[in-house]
Amino acid sequence: MKIPEIGTYAISFLIILALIFLLPRLMPGDPLTAICGEEVLVVMTPELKAELMHRFALDAPLWKQFFVYLTAMMHGDFGYSYYYNAPVLEVIFEALPWTLLLVGSSLVLSTVLSIIIGIESGWRRGKITDKFLLTTTMILNGFPNFFIGIILLLLFAVYLGCLPLQGAKTPYSGLSGINSMLDIAQHLVLPLIALTLAQIPGSYLLMRNTMITTLKEPFVRTAKAKGLSEVAVRYKHAGRNAMLPIVTTTGVRVGTVVTGALFIEIIFSYPGVGLLSYNALLMRDYPILQGVFFIVAVFVILANFVVDLLYTKIDPRIGVNNAEYAH
Amino acid sequence: MKNKQIAIVTLMSILLFALLTGLTIAGADSESANAGEVTYIIADPTGDWGYPSPHGHYPRGPGYLRMSYIFDTLLWKDRQGFVPALATDWEYLEDENAFLFHLRKDVTWHDGDKFTADDVAFTFNYVKEHPSWWVDLKSVERTEVLDEYTVKIYLTERYAPFLSDVAGALAIIPKHIWQDVETPNEFTEPEALIGTGPYKLVDYSKTHGTYLYEANKDYYLRKPDIDRLQFVKISEEMAPTALMRKEVAAAGILPETVEEVRGKGFVILNQSGNWNAKLMINHEKEPMSSKVFRHALAYAINRTELVAIGVRGHAIKGSPGLLAPISPYYNQDIIKYEYNPERAKDILESMGYQLKDDGYYWRDGEILELELITAPRMGFERIAEIIARQLEGVGIKVNVRSLESKTLDYRVMNRQFDLAISGHGGIGGDPLILNKVILGKFGYSANYTKNDTLNQLLEAHLHEMDQEKRNEIVREIQKIYAEELPALTLYYPTWYWGHDSSVDLYYTLGGVASGIPIPLNKLAFMDYKCDLAAPVPTATSAPTPAATETPVPGFELVISILALTTIAYLLKRRRND
Repeated sequence: MKIPEIGTYAISFLIILALIFLLPRLMPGDPLTAICGEEVLVVMTPELKAELMHRFALDAPLWKQFFVYLTAMMHGDFGYSYYYNAPVLEVIFEALPWTLLLVGSSLVLSTVLSIIIGIESGWRRGKITDKFLLTTTMILNGFPNFFIGIILLLLFAVYLGCLPLQGAKTPYSGLSGINSMLDIAQHLVLPLIALTLAQIPGSYLLMRNTMITTLKEPFVRTAKAKGLSEVAVRYKHAGRNAMLPIVTTTGVRVGTVVTGALFIEIIFSYPGVGLLSYNALLMRDYPILQGVFFIVAVFVILANFVVDLLYTKIDPRIGVNNAEYAH
Repeated sequence: MKNKQIAIVTLMSILLFALLTGLTIAGADSESANAGEVTYIIADPTGDWGYPSPHGHYPRGPGYLRMSYIFDTLLWKDRQGFVPALATDWEYLEDENAFLFHLRKDVTWHDGDKFTADDVAFTFNYVKEHPSWWVDLKSVERTEVLDEYTVKIYLTERYAPFLSDVAGALAIIPKHIWQDVETPNEFTEPEALIGTGPYKLVDYSKTHGTYLYEANKDYYLRKPDIDRLQFVKISEEMAPTALMRKEVAAAGILPETVEEVRGKGFVILNQSGNWNAKLMINHEKEPMSSKVFRHALAYAINRTELVAIGVRGHAIKGSPGLLAPISPYYNQDIIKYEYNPERAKDILESMGYQLKDDGYYWRDGEILELELITAPRMGFERIAEIIARQLEGVGIKVNVRSLESKTLDYRVMNRQFDLAISGHGGIGGDPLILNKVILGKFGYSANYTKNDTLNQLLEAHLHEMDQEKRNEIVREIQKIYAEELPALTLYYPTWYWGHDSSVDLYYTLGGVASGIPIPLNKLAFMDYKCDLAAPVPTATSAPTPAATETPVPGFELVISILALTTIAYLLKRRRND
């Protein structure tokens, strides 16, 4: 990875830090309650107020406050939620595994599915399968993910009653081992499908388009001429080369999947970061909101960074080794 | 070759990811019911209300309720009013300005230790030292232990809300456990949950928002009929389905679903009057600083229409005296401001306003124009639009502006507004709330101190220990408040609960403890009606099917072996290539 690119990430990261720092201080009213959440008023004594003012250096100039804030961040101090009566990171980390499970599996599933149907659709361009896939995804594309979520919830959980209504597992069911994992999987099905369905159209259209372009390349014709099987040409030669843009956009998609998960989690009462931030919004627990904002932003930056790294591996023409391939 | 490496790395990461997530979050859940036990499951849309210790729960009513199952207070309330709890009887000693409590002699803590007057005295002293948000002990001067089961609490001044807001709300904690605890809100050891209450906590999951309690077999009243009390997280939208699928026995439900739930044979509980939506009026600013102008506003607003259209009938019309008819202190003989647009116009004209051709009132070359601010919560935006239309109807130009809640509170508190829609709860409990929301300086308080009589009466009722006399004063307060009209109560929304009737849930008179308007009083779980609950698995005496399933050990091992085999296979293929 080139130094300027790392610089770009560092700058994005700093901008995010600055935004999280500035937002509560720009809100109307007392910045102390904006930083600590309204619950702090309940336990606020003059001593605590003085201590908090000192801790956040709220009486000092802005640059000094920013310095104090950065130092705290470097020590892993992301603030304290007076509502949860716990450090912000501790609260977020309890919800994070569930969001990771949902977002991670949705990202993998939607990528794999859109690649496969993109390849098939591009290969059969203009035929009935292509038209069907195109129309279906266009219709799907018109629905926001929470709408798909509500429809699925109503259909499978409320009317058919074959899947759980809410949550991530059955409370106090006495399950363990494989049964417990199956229970978790059963609870994951609907949110996962909702989130994945909303992700597919974008990647599918991209995959289909690159597939169509790639199929016109000379090497595909060569492969066909060599007498390779149709599947080998479709997947090994054309498909693999058409996949590159999907990989690039995966980093960007992490952001949309995470924000999509926020809505899905609320609909399915899925105990992840989305539901946490929704409750924090209701309780006006600003420290939690800022913490979630930070964690999500870091994840998106990190995902883009990883994709950048991975991309140079998948497509050797990109990256520092350009010179090597020039001759 | 490179692509294969990437494929292997990716596959490995995914498998590892799934494995780790599975291992971390699947954790064995062995808290299942035993045969013959009665389980009662309650749905809650938020789920997590904090660690249910007196200092650990979140500062909201549902958090206090979850704590109240484990801890007792000196006295408690049921549907009719005060009932003895840890104290068998109490009396107010006028000369000494103290309350004398005689305690029960048959109470033990969950760990088997004896409960005595020392614990009561300790609790008061401890909470004075470590203030709790729930109970304000400023009124308590000191405690005196007279003997093992008699304790006297001296007050700093005569304080009428003492029984409901202090003695009936302060959870008594064991001295032998808490005496060495310096930071009570960080004390989350299992001992922090040793109380004298009817239930013991078996499990609490912050992430999943679930609570599981088991009955305290040695509870001093008797063992509760409900052996296992369980709270699960289910959204209000899904609550009716969960009820019908017998996944829960009781749930708060949305007004729109009431008929459907009732139709399926569930009992519906409803209550209005603990919460009120109100029109805040900036009485410091012209022309709202004129009392008669505020009257004109009240006459111009059709509260019946607000209830019928704004909240689709799921509320009762607000009383200008603030307190609702369910309050034992409610005064109905006050000025009502029944909808009368003509009267409103007359008042405006008497103030020198003239109706122009544009349909608005003008005075001194200025149009009568007000800004109505609101926040996107509780359907307030719709209410604001209706009020704006009603005021425009009498000739007052209104601009509606929606703001973020905190900004709205800030502007109301700093009087940077004309009219605002806000609301608050707590009006079903002790009338102490009147002092907070009339004199207080915060977003939903009228912040009104202009009327000396009102100020004096507000002070007087707090110190009037004679209930009848206090009642009279509070009635007078409502009368003056309605005439002064620093804010106008618009309506009291109705809240609904549906339940399967196996437990006779009820709304506590004046709310649980210091006024929580939720029908989950711990005393309700003492009695269970078997015959009614027979078809409902959530409250049957049969073991849950899950409990009989045999867990398969080593599933994680199988996954690991599978993953390793796949990787080995891929590596082998790579070597062959």
